[in-house]
Amino acid sequence: MTKAVTRRFFFIGTAIFTLAFIVLTIHTHTTIASRTHADRLTDEVRRGGHVWAKYNCENCHTLLGEGAYYAPDLTKVVQQRGAAYLAQFLANPAQFYSETRDGRLMPTLGLSTQEIANVIAFLDWMGHIDTNGWPPRPILVSGVAVRAMPGVAGVASAADPPSRGKAVFNGSGACASCHSVAPGVVLVGPSLAGVAKTAVTRLQDPHYQGTARTAAEYLEESILQPNVFIVPDGLYASPQRVSFMPDTLGKTLAPEEVKDLVAYLMTLQ
Amino acid sequence: MLYQSQRVAYAYFLAVLLLFGLQVAFGVLSLAKYLGPDPLLNVMNFATSKAIHTNLLLVWVLTGFMGATYYMVPEESQTELYSVRLAYVQLVLWLAIGVAAVVGYLFGITAGRKLLEMPQALKYGVVVVMLMFLFNVLMTIRQAGRWTTTQGVLIGGLASAALLFVAGMIPFDNYTLDRFYRWWVVHLWVEGVWELILGAILAFLLIRLSGADREVMEKWLYVIVGLTFLSGILGTGHHYYWIGVPRYWLWVGGIFSALEPLAFLAMAAYAYNMMRRSGLAHPNTLALHWTIGSAVFSMLGAGLLGLAHTWPQVNQWTHGTHVTTMHGHMAFFGAYAMINLAIITYALPAFAGIPDDARDVRLGLWAFWLMVGGMFGMTMALAAAGITQTYLERIMGFGYLETQQKIQVHYLMWLGTSIVFAAGVIAFIWDFVSLGVPRGLLEKSRLSVGAGMGSTTP
Repeated sequence: MTKAVTRRFFFIGTAIFTLAFIVLTIHTHTTIASRTHADRLTDEVRRGGHVWAKYNCENCHTLLGEGAYYAPDLTKVVQQRGAAYLAQFLANPAQFYSETRDGRLMPTLGLSTQEIANVIAFLDWMGHIDTNGWPPRPILVSGVAVRAMPGVAGVASAADPPSRGKAVFNGSGACASCHSVAPGVVLVGPSLAGVAKTAVTRLQDPHYQGTARTAAEYLEESILQPNVFIVPDGLYASPQRVSFMPDTLGKTLAPEEVKDLVAYLMTLQ
Repeated sequence: MLYQSQRVAYAYFLAVLLLFGLQVAFGVLSLAKYLGPDPLLNVMNFATSKAIHTNLLLVWVLTGFMGATYYMVPEESQTELYSVRLAYVQLVLWLAIGVAAVVGYLFGITAGRKLLEMPQALKYGVVVVMLMFLFNVLMTIRQAGRWTTTQGVLIGGLASAALLFVAGMIPFDNYTLDRFYRWWVVHLWVEGVWELILGAILAFLLIRLSGADREVMEKWLYVIVGLTFLSGILGTGHHYYWIGVPRYWLWVGGIFSALEPLAFLAMAAYAYNMMRRSGLAHPNTLALHWTIGSAVFSMLGAGLLGLAHTWPQVNQWTHGTHVTTMHGHMAFFGAYAMINLAIITYALPAFAGIPDDARDVRLGLWAFWLMVGGMFGMTMALAAAGITQTYLERIMGFGYLETQQKIQVHYLMWLGTSIVFAAGVIAFIWDFVSLGVPRGLLEKSRLSVGAGMGSTTP
């Protein structure tokens, strides 16, 4: 093999692979609009992207798994945590986390209400990009959702509704991102240990104005319309009385999934 | 050193070491923040200190490449530089841009794109500096009329790096496209055209350190850079798996990035063979250590540790964990820090005007082994942290915060080994400074080796 041969290998090889890369790039461009729902890329989302850049967010967090590893991935955070909670959190992270307990705390960045709304819109848009199935399992900010063992996680195809509901709780519903079922373990939302009993006492609350008559109906109402009744302890809602619980589950879960979920929650006596 | 104007490189190398020292200081500071409560939370948060850490790295490595080029091109083309003054002006401008960027970060002025945080105005400055630099180098070669393969590969790498930088200056509203083109800079630099620069400096050093035949060396250099592009261009796809582009990138990126270690393997084999043929007879022991070290460490860090998580089936779990930090640290150090330290140690005795064999190498060897040992330890600590994080957070389903608390012990190991590494950096800087400012010129002992000029065409 002479130098002339290896030189040819370099130049011809480089030309071929550069050309292939350019062809794939052009094709990729034709798919971006539908894969990223570009029609939903509103001015608010755009401004949110600038907020994300302005505050150097990706040198602590990751988005689509890219960025720095000092803080949690935020790709699906709006779907997991809900906009109401995030708005409160971003205004003052120290309300929800303690540097001494958690080892880390997000600095208070002094974001304006407008910037907060924009960056949440941006993150919401991000969460709907078609990422070829990444992450394969939800990445949680805090808490534990042990999914590896079917006995713990529930079985989506099981015959009994509570078991299917448990699978929704730990899987598609992402309930476990914010709620534990262990007594006293409080994440973003309250522990759901004994929630079936709690539901009965809520129905007796004189402030309750909803339409539910049974514990199961109350739970379904709380899942689909979390703002119907805000528990007056002030722990899980914004000062404007908006629940931290996302009000989008009616859209993201099928009616049967909601029924199964309620069946599961009713087992938590 | 054969030409007076090569001395320009000394100023570049001095800047390299200053920035390298600062980079490591910001690195240790950033990683200490992983150990929790951060007293500087509202003064200089992690995002700021970490952005400074990575930006200083990019600036100093590029400074080193420019210095190396100003050192190599006169010898390769057998002429003085076209303009020494332009080279100094360029260095001052370049450092001013770097300092402005870092000071800006401290005050929260950032473009907020990882590794490309420089504000747009400063990015234009970078383009101007790169054009000044390429102009000076090309005019030097033109006036000599002598063009070798080694310098052809070097200049090809530098010019492509400047060109690709432009892809990072185009603004995109769509985050997926923003990511897509950010990798045209970041990936196609470090896993593409920078490997040309690495290969060329390696060839330059091996020809001189081993006395190997230039024709043979340059023949294999084409094979190495050919393998780099064969795998690295389509290998960009391994950054595209999950950013919102079509599924075929999983195949393209997986297959071609799995071939990327071939170029690094070839570089290590290249260095090993040259040294085996000629023995380790060259009196510049330190340059030998750094040159071989770079070839070996880049094969391990960039080649094998990259391969470890490049398959989509693995990467879907490890993506965005400390498995990447592990690979990134060893790869960058092996490929781009060590090759810079190799050319610096090679050139240093000539700058100081002392023969290679008259130089006291004890401190220099301490620097080498402390850095190599420290980086190896950091890689191991990060491997343990990354694998544990992947299992707990991604597979078992523990929250991010709970997982971070479980891997604190690995962060302690990371901190400990990084201090060993920092001690090596201090030793290197001390060794460099203690040799004094340049005073020597033509060193006759180098002439016989350096004059092994062969082909004049790329």
